[in-house]
Amino acid sequence: MTRLVRAEWTKLFTTRVWIGLLAGACVMAAGFAALLTAFAGETQNGQPGLPPVGDPVFEQLAFAVAADTAVLFLILGIIGMTQEYRHRTATPTFLTTPRRWRVVVAKLVAYALAAVPLALVVMAVAVLTVTVYAGARGAAPSFTGDNLEVLGRSGLVLVIYAVIGVGIGALLRNQVGAIVGALVYLFVVESIVASIGAISGAFKWMPGGAVEALTATAGGTPGFRGPDLLSAWQGGLLLLGYGLFAAFLGTVLAVRRDVV
Amino acid sequence: MGRPRRARRTTISTGTTGRAIGNTGPAHPVRVEVSRLTKHFGAVQAVSDLSFTVEPGSVTGFLGPNGAGKTTTLRMLLGLLHPDVGTATFDGTPYAALPDPVRTVGAVLETAFHPGRSGRNHLRVYCRAAGLPVSRADEVLVQVGLADAGRRRAGGYSLGMRQRLALAGALLGDPAVLVLDEPANGLDPEGIQWLRGFLRHLAHEQGRTVLVSSHLLSEVEQTVDRVVIVGAGRLVREGTIEQLRSGADGAGIVLVRSPESVRLADVLRTGGIAVTAEDGGALSITGSTPAEVGRRAFAAGIELHELRSRTSGLEEIYFQLTAGQEQFAAPSPGSTILEETAR
Repeated sequence: MTRLVRAEWTKLFTTRVWIGLLAGACVMAAGFAALLTAFAGETQNGQPGLPPVGDPVFEQLAFAVAADTAVLFLILGIIGMTQEYRHRTATPTFLTTPRRWRVVVAKLVAYALAAVPLALVVMAVAVLTVTVYAGARGAAPSFTGDNLEVLGRSGLVLVIYAVIGVGIGALLRNQVGAIVGALVYLFVVESIVASIGAISGAFKWMPGGAVEALTATAGGTPGFRGPDLLSAWQGGLLLLGYGLFAAFLGTVLAVRRDVV
Repeated sequence: MGRPRRARRTTISTGTTGRAIGNTGPAHPVRVEVSRLTKHFGAVQAVSDLSFTVEPGSVTGFLGPNGAGKTTTLRMLLGLLHPDVGTATFDGTPYAALPDPVRTVGAVLETAFHPGRSGRNHLRVYCRAAGLPVSRADEVLVQVGLADAGRRRAGGYSLGMRQRLALAGALLGDPAVLVLDEPANGLDPEGIQWLRGFLRHLAHEQGRTVLVSSHLLSEVEQTVDRVVIVGAGRLVREGTIEQLRSGADGAGIVLVRSPESVRLADVLRTGGIAVTAEDGGALSITGSTPAEVGRRAFAAGIELHELRSRTSGLEEIYFQLTAGQEQFAAPSPGSTILEETAR
């Protein structure tokens, strides 16, 4: 299994996909962090908006922005799996490892582990942006207690999303279809569910709801962060459950389906 | 381990046509056995009750028109497609159950690479996955003549270079069996010449089992020792190329000339043999052999002036054998030729 995981790393790091996605995630994280800091403490139409710099809630929100790049980690996982079908390398891959479930498991492990350093980079970019910008505005956030915990959880979200991506890829096989489907789901379906009163209760059980639970600020969510949520650890488990479920289905199908 | 390998390599590198593969051949020869394979895709019967064997130390041509089920058969042989019925084994073991598949079987099924990855890195991936030293990637690149292009992205390779890279991938594990699906596609004449020598060298001098598919007999005629001909998913003929050429198995046309041609035709027709009269009093006979025609004429006391097998053109025999078995005559727009679209 170790050699299969290493083979997956070789595949991942010998094309340029990861560089593009990592760069995109860094830009996104820096952008979100800067926006959040810029509007901290502003009021909107007389209503209280974002808490001001220096406020513990602001600091936790700012440290959680890395999780907003989760979609790129999802795409990384999806591409990692679906490129085997898109470029037909599934044939040599499954010829080398005829017990196909081992390929899928190796990919899950390889992407989970590879996502860790990538997530650390994105987190570093987010934290750096907030620290410099908020520092310039008067109060750099501290690296303590709740702040660090939220930061760690946002990284965990990224890693789990990479795993979910591999699972979705194994399930759907079509690269464009899987990516478009995932984006539509995350940005359309979940938003609709969350905004319709009668069914918004279901949102907390969905992957997006789990992410929000995982990255919710300690000591209560500020009003704009959405409807009611699970606790952080429940959200984390639920999210991981989604990832493993997709991976399990994908593995079963990969073993049974013909490779043409 | 290292020293005997090196010693062997120096002796083999004096070989002529095929380049040395790294040692004198597989530890022990492996026989391929296909038994009663059957597979359908929807309404299309791709392969029906197909059985044949591939022997070590020889190159076997797997021939048939496009859509005859060749690729489907090879993919079942390699565990990529699940057959409806039947088995395909390597010395009795199905591909998926081989303890070390890469070291037993090497396959070229299609030229499949990530366009953004270099040929060398592509090979290294499979070295890692199979537990081979990554240096094997460089060795096989040299063998197939791609050493200079190894570090370039595979997306920029020509069709011929892609075929060579696919072949390099099949050689990584120094396997006892090589399975190649249309390997000459995209090779220039020089490349085809090289491939012929290479395959013969692998089989004849190194005792490997080589199965190579093609839809053109002429492409493999000079390379193969044995042929397995399929049409419409069924076995049409299996045997050596000499058997096919001589018409000894009834594949060809027998020409016979006799002063008593009318009586001879009657005798043969009574024996259930199809006879047609040719110009100049000769008879042409299909589905029989010169030996059988001669025996029946002798038994009937008929004088013969000429008796020969008119099968000099192998290509002609091949056309006869596979006539009307192309699957291009798709009856309805809904039914597609799965094997072809899958490529």
